[in-house]
Amino acid sequence: MIPLASLFGRPPPAVGQTPSDVVFAENKWRLLRYRAWHEGTAWATPVLLVPSLINRHYVLDLLPGKSFVEWFVARGHDVFCIDWGTPGDEDRYLTFDDVCDRYLGRALERTRRIAGAPKAHVLGYCLGGTLAAIHASVHPERFASLTALAAPIGFHDGGLLSAWTRSKGFDVQAVVAATGNVPWQLMQSAFHLLRPTLTLSKAVHMADKLWDDEFMNGFLALETWGSDNVSFPGACYQRYVDELYRNNALVAGTFTLSGKPARLEAITCPTLAVTFQHDNIVPPESAAVLLERIGSADKHRIHLPGGHVGAVVSKKAAQGLWPAIAKFWADRD
Amino acid sequence: MNPWDIYKKAFNAWENATATYMEQVLKSPLLLEPAGAWLSTMMKAKAKGDELAAGWWGGLGLPTKRDQERTLHKLNQLESKLLDLEERLAADK
Repeated sequence: MIPLASLFGRPPPAVGQTPSDVVFAENKWRLLRYRAWHEGTAWATPVLLVPSLINRHYVLDLLPGKSFVEWFVARGHDVFCIDWGTPGDEDRYLTFDDVCDRYLGRALERTRRIAGAPKAHVLGYCLGGTLAAIHASVHPERFASLTALAAPIGFHDGGLLSAWTRSKGFDVQAVVAATGNVPWQLMQSAFHLLRPTLTLSKAVHMADKLWDDEFMNGFLALETWGSDNVSFPGACYQRYVDELYRNNALVAGTFTLSGKPARLEAITCPTLAVTFQHDNIVPPESAAVLLERIGSADKHRIHLPGGHVGAVVSKKAAQGLWPAIAKFWADRD
Repeated sequence: MNPWDIYKKAFNAWENATATYMEQVLKSPLLLEPAGAWLSTMMKAKAKGDELAAGWWGGLGLPTKRDQERTLHKLNQLESKLLDLEERLAADK
């Protein structure tokens, strides 16, 4: 009972602690550059992290000791990250092209320019990976490599999100017309429904670990992140659902970015796709299809046990996934 | 095996079975069609309500929320276009 009671007095976990500077800002998004470790940077090519539009970027910098960013900075990488920020009501008109072409292109350009490198390694997580892959298919010359971390590419995957967005009764235009930006509450409810028993399951398994401070810190940090979502800019969401989910346009080769065809076969840079066995948000087959379609001969897949988030920020990730990504970048520096 | 472990084992079995069952239910068109239609109806009603309110507000000659959103968006677009130009100039140097 005592550990359970102590939960109420526990301060919220301090997330996103790796020191960084805002090196560029436009509308609501910012480009962060993490401060170099004492020894400075050891690699010629900078790294740009592209998180999902609807989640906070600090999932990649969760807690000291459990931070993807901290781990890479400590190994001499020059790490930049996009913080998409919180859309205002006026951003209901923000289009997919604004985000995926203009903003992402600008982030890449600034990363490259600030680091003084001709190209950058780009890692996109979840929807950030989809954005990065689309951008790479139109501007392949900007990428030293592409890492798609649990990134949905094929949207007709048999998962629940695919079934819901493709249901005839779901009128995406009506939702966007009524709400402007699609409220995070609506999306969070949908994510909860992917496994409605998960909250109960977490409570039961947490009971075993109540006295384990390190576990509880990590658990609460993830819960903090999981409840800290942002709304999806309306016009961008409408195209995302209409073209990517409903028409599977990326796989069909019919998607366009700012009027230019976005064909996956145009991706010629070294590409790494990371998929997770128990990912119920992005089923492994949805992410793996990227490698079947791209034109690059230098393509690799890492398939790991675990779920969409846990497998990226767990202690295990620091022993398996992160070193594998580091090696992929080091071999192509 | 202690009672807690037995409980957890049973709970895991129940949780797995329930989650699988729920997934089938939540994928079923029998549920999705009416749920989607209900959501769309509510959204259309909200949009209609907003439209009526904006019409009344606009009738007084005042800018509506949508007018303000459009103006702010245009300002953001202008900022972006200036940055585009700046980048082109930097690239030409």
